Amino acid sequence: MSTGTDVTAGASRAGGAPAPGEPTPPAQPAPASPREPGDPDRMHLAKMLIGLGGVIVVVWFIGNLFLAMAYHPDWFGSSRILIGVIALIAGVAGAWLFFYFLNMFVEAMPGRLSRGVMPYAFLVPGIGLIGLMLIYPTVQTINFAFANSDSTAYVGLDNFKDIFTGGTSDEFWLAISNNILWLIIVPAVTVVVGVIVAVLADKLSPQGEKVSKSTIFLPMAISFVGASVVWSLIYAYDPANEDPTGLLNAVWRALGGEPQTWLQISTLRLNSILLMVILIWLQVGFAMILLSSAIKGVPEETIEAARIDGATEWKIFSQVVIPQIRGTIITVFITVVILVLKVFDIVYVLTNGRDKTNVIANLFFNELVNNEQAGVASAIVVVLLIAVTPILIYQVRHFRREEMGR
Amino acid sequence: MRRGSGRRWAASGVAVLAAMALTGCLQQPGGGGSGEGLNGYVDNASADGDGKVTMLGAFAGEEQAAFEKSLAQFEKDSGIDIAYTADADFTTTIKQKVRSGDTPDIGLFPQPGGLLELADQGYVQPIDTYLDYDQLESTLVPGFLEAARLNGRVYGAPMRMANKSIVWYPKQAWDKAGYQVPETMADLEKLTAQIKSDGTTPWCMAWGSDQATGWVGTDWIEQFMLMLYGPDVYDQWVKHEIPFDDPKVVAAFDAFDKIARTDGEVYGGVKTVVNTPFAEAMVPAFKDPPGCMLERQGNFEISFLDPKIQDDLDNQIGVFQWPAEKAGEEQPLLGGADLAALFNGNDEDAIKVMEFLTSDKFGAEWAQAGGWLSPHTTFDESNYPDQTTKDIADMAKNAPEFVFDASDAMPKEVGSGTFWTGMVEWVQGKSSEDTTKAIESSWPQ
Repeated sequence: MSTGTDVTAGASRAGGAPAPGEPTPPAQPAPASPREPGDPDRMHLAKMLIGLGGVIVVVWFIGNLFLAMAYHPDWFGSSRILIGVIALIAGVAGAWLFFYFLNMFVEAMPGRLSRGVMPYAFLVPGIGLIGLMLIYPTVQTINFAFANSDSTAYVGLDNFKDIFTGGTSDEFWLAISNNILWLIIVPAVTVVVGVIVAVLADKLSPQGEKVSKSTIFLPMAISFVGASVVWSLIYAYDPANEDPTGLLNAVWRALGGEPQTWLQISTLRLNSILLMVILIWLQVGFAMILLSSAIKGVPEETIEAARIDGATEWKIFSQVVIPQIRGTIITVFITVVILVLKVFDIVYVLTNGRDKTNVIANLFFNELVNNEQAGVASAIVVVLLIAVTPILIYQVRHFRREEMGR
Repeated sequence: MRRGSGRRWAASGVAVLAAMALTGCLQQPGGGGSGEGLNGYVDNASADGDGKVTMLGAFAGEEQAAFEKSLAQFEKDSGIDIAYTADADFTTTIKQKVRSGDTPDIGLFPQPGGLLELADQGYVQPIDTYLDYDQLESTLVPGFLEAARLNGRVYGAPMRMANKSIVWYPKQAWDKAGYQVPETMADLEKLTAQIKSDGTTPWCMAWGSDQATGWVGTDWIEQFMLMLYGPDVYDQWVKHEIPFDDPKVVAAFDAFDKIARTDGEVYGGVKTVVNTPFAEAMVPAFKDPPGCMLERQGNFEISFLDPKIQDDLDNQIGVFQWPAEKAGEEQPLLGGADLAALFNGNDEDAIKVMEFLTSDKFGAEWAQAGGWLSPHTTFDESNYPDQTTKDIADMAKNAPEFVFDASDAMPKEVGSGTFWTGMVEWVQGKSSEDTTKAIESSWPQ
């Protein structure tokens, strides 16, 4: 349902048998001579060898196929579509064959051992990939946070000194303060607007509900960069003697104001707030869909009972509906919180941190790519990682409670 | 439960340990390479003398098509097959390719900084080992080879030039008002005063460039540094031999202040400057009556103009070189170049391509397609498509010296970081002293 699902699913299943949802081991082909029921512990050496050989051949072949695609695109007629199709087929078929042979290998082990090893055989490739793609980069980043700008020598805590008190500190604390501002404003406003829209849409005719919900959900389909470009037109500035292209300035001028350069007004962090509006616009649809289904899931009887007891609509909403959708509200809230902590695209595209709008992710990107300061950039990310961890832990716990409550 | 959590701890411990082992501490410092470049030959992984030469550069699209067209005849005559790959993120890509031992035979560097970095690590063949250095120097505008010099040796030769010392004006409106091309800075000030008294804002200016907003401003400061103090001080400034907050630099900012931050000098004022895309700077100049009269921008300005104006370029637009400070002073040219550098020093074919690429014979087809200038004074000018381009090429031909865009040559933290953002803050009201001080403090130690 949401980002936390994988985490809890993985944790709850670790050590157990593969859950029904997981790809079940492919059916064993009928052996030539059925295994004798009285002798389950016997080892089938030939099958083990075939299985092991199969695994090695599949890995070797698929690995080389993908390398060939990278190094010799001309072998495939330099056609990206063809390469894509082959990669898709080879990837899926390769994974199937890999697990098929792996299964054959493990099943051929003596019975007790086979049962013990089986779950791991299916978990280890997945966990290994997570390790390679997630844990390894994380550890490497923490490692690089203590190294110099091109990660060739250790410099101790210099990078952290630099971001907390040194040359990068002004920008860093500015980014932190902006991130906190984003954290306070965006998730709360998104949830509140999402609830309001969900409740109001619920009261419309089915047709009206469909249309209004689709309209509000539509921005979800736009990429962050795309949305930023759209909104850059809304905030656009033109001198007073030219026709306004920016919607906001057009309205402002119609009300008698001077044209404003909205994204440069850092008083009260107005420009940051205008950037937040974009993210809220993008995320309200997501919040609304989840909250709407939660509201529809509130049992009619509870509302009926409250009505009979003479509660007002507001009381029903605040004391009957809200407590029952509390779990969904928290889910939406946390999802948006994590999204906000990672916010980058909007700031990068529209201001690149100018005029006091910088955020941690943008600062990191500029340090790494623009200034080539891998050490400082890694240190910034490590701080971000530490900031996100408690929220992630809370989210996992929250999900566990939800699962148990069900 | 206890057992489960113990297992979980063990599993995470193993995962972390495995990751640590994979991490293998730090990366190897660059350098070493195969031949060091100075004594032997630098080599790459590609086969030598097989009639195939690989090339990596930054320009794509129409420019790539024109470039390949200008190589076609050479490929036919020599039998060498040149494979050019364009990469918009060239600066990063070439570094990665060097690190992974997958360098092209020839790299076309849009800025000298990246080239010198790789040369310093021993990956680039010095040009004097395979090109006729004296011959090359004699046909180039002085200063080009200096940009690619490291420890006394030159590692790259220009194959395309950009001229950034150009002032553009709308010719029809200019002729109607009867303005004269200024010879000195005082003349230019008189001209802008005259334009102002005629009721037109003198300067078109637009800095908007998304993430890179501010670079137009750095070009202005560079132009003033060059005009006020000449190439030697300019060079010291680029190399940080004088600090960024030196009084001379502050004076250059103050000189620019008279244009950029003075009421009535710039179209739409400061707000418009920062919020208008740089490509649209000259749009008001072609309105009737014109909103502004002058625009200082590189030769690539042509490609931003309305197609209707481009079709009638010589009648629609006029150019003059940024004037000298005092009469009789020569004015060096500010600009840039794509530098070709050799990564495969023992491939005869690659050397032949380099010889052609850096000669004045190269580029006729590209010049005809437009938007390309040869760095050679001996290049056949009849190849340029219009008089405007010829005028721009002449500026370079007659210039006593050519200096590279300073922000391209400064360290990245400054050149494409605080110098850009500093300019934006400055134009919005920060004092020249505070701005230069802030940039100075960001200079890497």
